[in-house]
Amino acid sequence: MIRYDGFTKRYGAHTAVDGLTVDVPAGTVIALLGPNGSGKTTSIKAAAGLVRPTAGAVRLGAEGLPATEASARRLCSFLPQRVSFPDALTGREVVEFYRRLRGVPGEATDRVMTFASLNGAGSRAVGTYSGGMTQRLGLAVAMLPDAEILLLDEPTAALDPDGLSAFYGLVEARRREGRTVFFSSHQLGDVERLADLIVILIEGRLAATLTSSELAAKLADRGVMRVRMGQQAPGLLERVRETAPGAQWIGDDLIVPGPTSTRLGALDAIRAAGGVIDGLSAEEGRLDEFYRSIVGGDR
Amino acid sequence: MSVIWLCARHELLLAARSRWLQWFAVIFAGLALLVAASGYVLSGGYGLQDFARTAVSLVQLVLLIVPLAALVFGSLTLSPDRGAAELLYAQPVPRWAILAGRVIGLFLALAAAELLGFGVAGLAVQYFSGPSGASQFLVVVALSLALTAVFLSIAAALACGEPGRRARALAMALVVWFVAVILFDLAALGVASMLRSGAASRVLMTAALLNPVDAGRTGAYMAIEGTSAFGSASLALLRFTGGERAVAALVTASLLLWTVVPAWMAARRLGRTDL
Repeated sequence: MIRYDGFTKRYGAHTAVDGLTVDVPAGTVIALLGPNGSGKTTSIKAAAGLVRPTAGAVRLGAEGLPATEASARRLCSFLPQRVSFPDALTGREVVEFYRRLRGVPGEATDRVMTFASLNGAGSRAVGTYSGGMTQRLGLAVAMLPDAEILLLDEPTAALDPDGLSAFYGLVEARRREGRTVFFSSHQLGDVERLADLIVILIEGRLAATLTSSELAAKLADRGVMRVRMGQQAPGLLERVRETAPGAQWIGDDLIVPGPTSTRLGALDAIRAAGGVIDGLSAEEGRLDEFYRSIVGGDR
Repeated sequence: MSVIWLCARHELLLAARSRWLQWFAVIFAGLALLVAASGYVLSGGYGLQDFARTAVSLVQLVLLIVPLAALVFGSLTLSPDRGAAELLYAQPVPRWAILAGRVIGLFLALAAAELLGFGVAGLAVQYFSGPSGASQFLVVVALSLALTAVFLSIAAALACGEPGRRARALAMALVVWFVAVILFDLAALGVASMLRSGAASRVLMTAALLNPVDAGRTGAYMAIEGTSAFGSASLALLRFTGGERAVAALVTASLLLWTVVPAWMAARRLGRTDL
């Protein structure tokens, strides 16, 4: 487990994280969400022992070892946001170096190279790798130890489709093994697909803790239904507005904002008014608007 | 395999593949050969000098080139690159052990390049002039290795800060080189010339020990030619200590301190840096 106990990090006058107190229980997959500059990376790097708290503490494992201690880092494996490796080394040499550094048995190299779909490129210099391949190599290194905790800072930001598939496989495998995965992301799809719990940081403070389904419901409530009309019946908009007051025409589309619970009623109103529906789509609410609504107190 | 040796081997491998180091090895070998071959040219002769004369000529080359190479290569290599440093220092090993391994690896790489240069020059001298004076030649090799260790350690102290400040570390390394190799002696002599004899001697003596380049020069000339080759600062030191043994001990202590203290500072700074 990871325990943030009043964790605060200041860089000069700037407070990156302010009094974060949160427990990441063992065996869960937790996503850290938040706008840019909200303190996600600082929080994850603190758990990886790379950032020293200005105040408070970050502790790892059942024994509660301070994250800055080398012994605590044995419990976790970390993948940075923009990982890089020396251009002159081959992919296999990179993995071998980290394998030896962590004291992992020799067969792990082949396992992680295969897992990251890098077996064919293992003998090539890293300097010839694409951005996606480099990120996959980082994923391979992060996979080397059988660590209790996996810390991933925006792991999917630079991943290609092969890498995404490997990443999803990695998280699912760790979940099955009862390991803890703590990752930050801007990708809503990754968060909804993988996370058991979502921690939202805004301006360095814990803004909300939600389950994946709670987040999905909140975003859906802030979304819109877009109804493509074949025929605009007279009085249709007024009837729909009785159910969904914010409804409006944009071209041939009737846009119905608001909670998902209003949508069925709006569709009934369209049919009752004699409208002919050509197409229908639903769009989730945007994360930035959701963050603003949290700051504004509309949770 | 220990973490330090693993990191040293890793760094050695990287350095061996670095074009920069390969060029340094070639240029250093070329210059060493040129120095060995050109000694008689200035006096109107021709042919290669013997080991003793080559050693004396090589001292200046070593004092100029070796600190520069160690400072530049060290500051560029040891400055943390964010993506690489975050992954490396998140491993469950102490930061100081990784740093120590990297510095040792760089030292071995630079030492190998220098030994190649000395080897080429030494073989040529041996072939044309015979083995006489080879021990003096070895003194220059030792000087070169000592200065490599000193200035790599200083480079580590300059470079081990926050990630992404490589240009700043390089600029500081160049300033350190300019001060240590060029400015320091001029300043010391300038200050000494304005003082009375006793005070001037103390300034010069302190300067000879305070600056690792001067300490190295003093030690090398004493080992190669004896005290007859001493300049004003070294002579002041000799008068103060009363003998060559004491001078040798002080020079050795100075070079050791200049190796250990900046390395310790680098490890301490790295340990406190947010990566």
